[in-house]
Amino acid sequence: MRQDRAELVAWVAGNVVPHESAVRDKLRSVGVPEYEIDDIMQDAYLRISHLDSVAHIRNGRGYLFTVARSAMLLRVRRERIVRIDSLSDYDELTLADDDPGPERHAAARIDLERVHRMIASLPSPCREIFEMRRIEGVPQREIAARMGVSEHIVEKLSARGLRLILKAIAGGNREAASPAKQRIERKLRDVGFE
Amino acid sequence: MTSASNDSEAADWAIRRENGPLSEPEQRAFETWLAGDERRAGALLRADAALAFLDRGRALAGLGFNDAPHVSGHVPDSEPEFGDGIERAHWLSRRKLVGGGMAALVAVGIAGFLALPRTERIVTQLGEIKRTPLADGSVATVNTASRITVAMSKNMRNVSLDDGEAWFEVAHDRTRPFVVRAGDVSIRAVGTAFSVRRTDGGVDILVTEGVVEAWRDDQSTTPSRIAQGERAFVADAKGRDVNIAQNAVVVRTDSEIDRTLAWRNGDLALNGETLDYAVEELNRYNRRKIIVGDRELGRSPIVGYFKVNEPDNFAHSVASLFNARAQFSQEGIRIDTNGK
Repeated sequence: MRQDRAELVAWVAGNVVPHESAVRDKLRSVGVPEYEIDDIMQDAYLRISHLDSVAHIRNGRGYLFTVARSAMLLRVRRERIVRIDSLSDYDELTLADDDPGPERHAAARIDLERVHRMIASLPSPCREIFEMRRIEGVPQREIAARMGVSEHIVEKLSARGLRLILKAIAGGNREAASPAKQRIERKLRDVGFE
Repeated sequence: MTSASNDSEAADWAIRRENGPLSEPEQRAFETWLAGDERRAGALLRADAALAFLDRGRALAGLGFNDAPHVSGHVPDSEPEFGDGIERAHWLSRRKLVGGGMAALVAVGIAGFLALPRTERIVTQLGEIKRTPLADGSVATVNTASRITVAMSKNMRNVSLDDGEAWFEVAHDRTRPFVVRAGDVSIRAVGTAFSVRRTDGGVDILVTEGVVEAWRDDQSTTPSRIAQGERAFVADAKGRDVNIAQNAVVVRTDSEIDRTLAWRNGDLALNGETLDYAVEELNRYNRRKIIVGDRELGRSPIVGYFKVNEPDNFAHSVASLFNARAQFSQEGIRIDTNGK
């Protein structure tokens, strides 16, 4: 049973987007370079975009981790970056989800606070536009009229705001990889990456 | 064409498409952009979902947090798959769907129902290869003419391979082991990827990532541990001497594993296997079966990649490769040596 795109987008918004920064943190902690992380996440979303139906997936976070791991391993193997010599090397690439994520009740509150935080941290006038559009639901034409600018300007500013939001979704937690896991980072560098 | 530029352009398109239908030239420009890099579809989904995520702020704010988030299509279904049955029941009774004492009865009934493991059945037709996510976030790639039954509950993730072959990418969940049963053989994993195939006489297990443990019901010995890059065949207990060595564990290189699992991409990858072997494999995928008329021809080694669902092309290739003759009919394909 094919679902329509709106359903898929809604599911991704609720079940995948909130966990993106956790997956990125995990990839970072095993030593995957930043630009590879961006590529892997895009591969993951691409996989998800091809799904016929998501109605039966109850654990979106688990699925995101699985898909990201799959994309990561595909790159490791294809580019022969790392020879997985020992199980300990493998463990680092397991991409285990150590934190099961917030409980259902907390998740909704966390998401709501996060949305407000993201919008509040946008620079003017993006912030006002997003408050009107996303929180109040004001259509673009009306926003342009209220602000006294063209719709084209509103659209450009909206796109800029969205780019900043996307960065926020990726999260900014850039703790360094642990010493043991920097082995992988060094191997990647030896082969010419970063 | 970096991922960063994909994200940036996807943001532009997401905003523009949201504001109303695109004009003809815009639509064409959009389709051209999408076609330029396959990952752009992923970037676009991300951008669209980011906007929807922001919109959830509106939907969630309307709820007031006292109720379970179960109102509109936009609100996510991030519940665990076995149901906090009790909590759902409370929500329902608070809403007084059925008034008074009946609410409590209905609530308990529903809670009981939700606590049962959810069962999912996945079946593939002849020649069909299906890749599908499971409720827990794992992904099953199910090969031709196969059947699997998935039952997940609070403490276990059980999959039964009733027939055929599947490759599992197991979502990491330390609290619940992922166990595949194929006949009387069980395979247990935590967060890993492995394939299982039921054949005449036993079960073939191939581990692509991580480690699994496998055991047969009747065995009193400790389970066998099969690690990445390894393959094990566990023979059926039926009609066999129970004292037979339980597994034959063979260590393989990554490239052999990729070839063995090439079916995931719809390929049959051969590196010197016999024509007989190739034909037997291909016949798993196609209604029109291939028969090799000549025993010696059947033993010829073949190297190459073939599409599993193109038996005619395979027969043509083989015919020219071995200077043989292929006859095609509605019922099937027959390969003989020339001059017969």
